[in-house]
Amino acid sequence: MTQRTNFDKELDRLKLTLVEMAELVSANIKEGLSSFLKMDTEIAEANIKKDKLVNEYEQTIEKDCLRIIQREQPVAKDLRFITSVLKMVTDLERIGDHAADIAKMTIFMEKTHSSFFVNDIEEMTTVCQKMIKQAIEAFISTDKEIASAVIETDDIVDDLFESTKAKVAEAIRNKKVDADFALYLMMVAKYLERIGDHAVNIAEWVIYSITGERL
Amino acid sequence: MPNVIEIKNLTFKYKDKIALHNIDIAFPARQVTALIGPSGCGKSTLLRCLNRMNDLIEQTAISGEITYEGKDIYDRYYDVIELRTKIGMVFQKPNPFPMSIFDNVAYGPRCQGVKEKKKLQEIVKKALLDAALYEEVKDRLKESAMSLSGGQQQRLCIARAIAMNPQVILMDEPTSALDPIATAKIEELISDLKTSYTIIIVTHNMQQAARISDFTAFFLMGNLVEYGETDQIFSKPLQPKTEEYITGRFG
Ligand SMILES: Nc1ncnc2c1ncn2[C@@H]1O[C@H](COP(=O)(O)OP(=O)(O)OP(=O)(O)O)[C@@H](O)[C@H]1O
Ligand SMILES: [Mg+2]
Repeated sequence: MTQRTNFDKELDRLKLTLVEMAELVSANIKEGLSSFLKMDTEIAEANIKKDKLVNEYEQTIEKDCLRIIQREQPVAKDLRFITSVLKMVTDLERIGDHAADIAKMTIFMEKTHSSFFVNDIEEMTTVCQKMIKQAIEAFISTDKEIASAVIETDDIVDDLFESTKAKVAEAIRNKKVDADFALYLMMVAKYLERIGDHAVNIAEWVIYSITGERL
Repeated sequence: MPNVIEIKNLTFKYKDKIALHNIDIAFPARQVTALIGPSGCGKSTLLRCLNRMNDLIEQTAISGEITYEGKDIYDRYYDVIELRTKIGMVFQKPNPFPMSIFDNVAYGPRCQGVKEKKKLQEIVKKALLDAALYEEVKDRLKESAMSLSGGQQQRLCIARAIAMNPQVILMDEPTSALDPIATAKIEELISDLKTSYTIIIVTHNMQQAARISDFTAFFLMGNLVEYGETDQIFSKPLQPKTEEYITGRFG
């Protein structure tokens, strides 16, 4: 049952590139946050540069998808696969942008004189990374249960965002935090919350690719 | 959408070779249905059952029921000549008669008893227009049909079928011998014809089936594996065998 060896190889290669891109994006989130927590502008600058690489991955994958569509005229599960990859890279690229956005907060924050951190944002980062990893794993192993689990996990990210907001508000009321710093911290939390949403989008495309149904 | 043709529990044999097993399928009016499947799966046999062309082949056996507009076409009192005017056929290789372009198209109506010259001219012109061939041949209607290109010959055969004023047109790989331009013309023609005719087409070109048909039936070794709306078959087939076949991983 292997009459399209080349085509199948192309699809496998595409999967591999997608995994690489997802790993890069995930590492960028972690590093972006770490630059913020350590207030290390050098790490931040380096991290922002790495986002270019993410954009290159996006373009490469898009080109590969278009070439495959043109040459192989995929239908049915192959067409759903390619369509999903095309949509997923857009979400991954957006996640990459938000990782860089977080690093940019580090650079702005340097000029403030406060350090008030909330553990919740570290946890948000860990959860987001896990969501991305699982969504991609679900895609590779065509496991829609894992993809559904990713969608549910987003509630945790949302709760952590709410709890961060409450804690920052409290700190502002008690004048425990510099106003500018509080804003940057909230923006970081918001970026993480958005990253969770993009991970959900990815998981939804995984489910489409497997079942043909759009959530 | 009423069904023009309904097939129930159809089994067809050539000598002791079963070519079709217990087929149940119905063809909706004014829709294009594509029959797909690997070589030898029984597509042409099924088409030929629909206008009783298999009657011409010896040592065949048929069981089950095929109704056209509610009537059993294998009933022994059924008028086969009438059936073949109502259900026309276009073959893989264009097969114009060795006569003029005009006479090719006028052949059917003449057989049906149309004699008046004016009336014949009218029918021929309309059929050629419907088959999107008129503009190319209007100044050479008296020339031999053999002087036409393959694509033009195929459209002439479609015009010849149309001139019989059929309800259903069966097409067996009508574009397999044509270049992309002639193919595109025939495909466009099929979409135009759909407003007046029910079309059942056999094709090995998956993209063509996806482009031009409303319904698709997938056959495998004489069995109907899956039948459904073309959009569904080509985006989310229900049967793994269909998926393997249309994604080209069959073997
Ligand atoms: N006249 C015949 N006598 C005996 N067997 C026949 C005859 N015509 C077809 N068959 C057999 O019946 C089966 C179905 O043939 P059919 O021509 O319907 O297939 P098909 O789906 O149209 O294939 P293709 O795509 O190659 O045109 C095949 O196994 C074929 O060998
Ligand atoms: Mg055939």
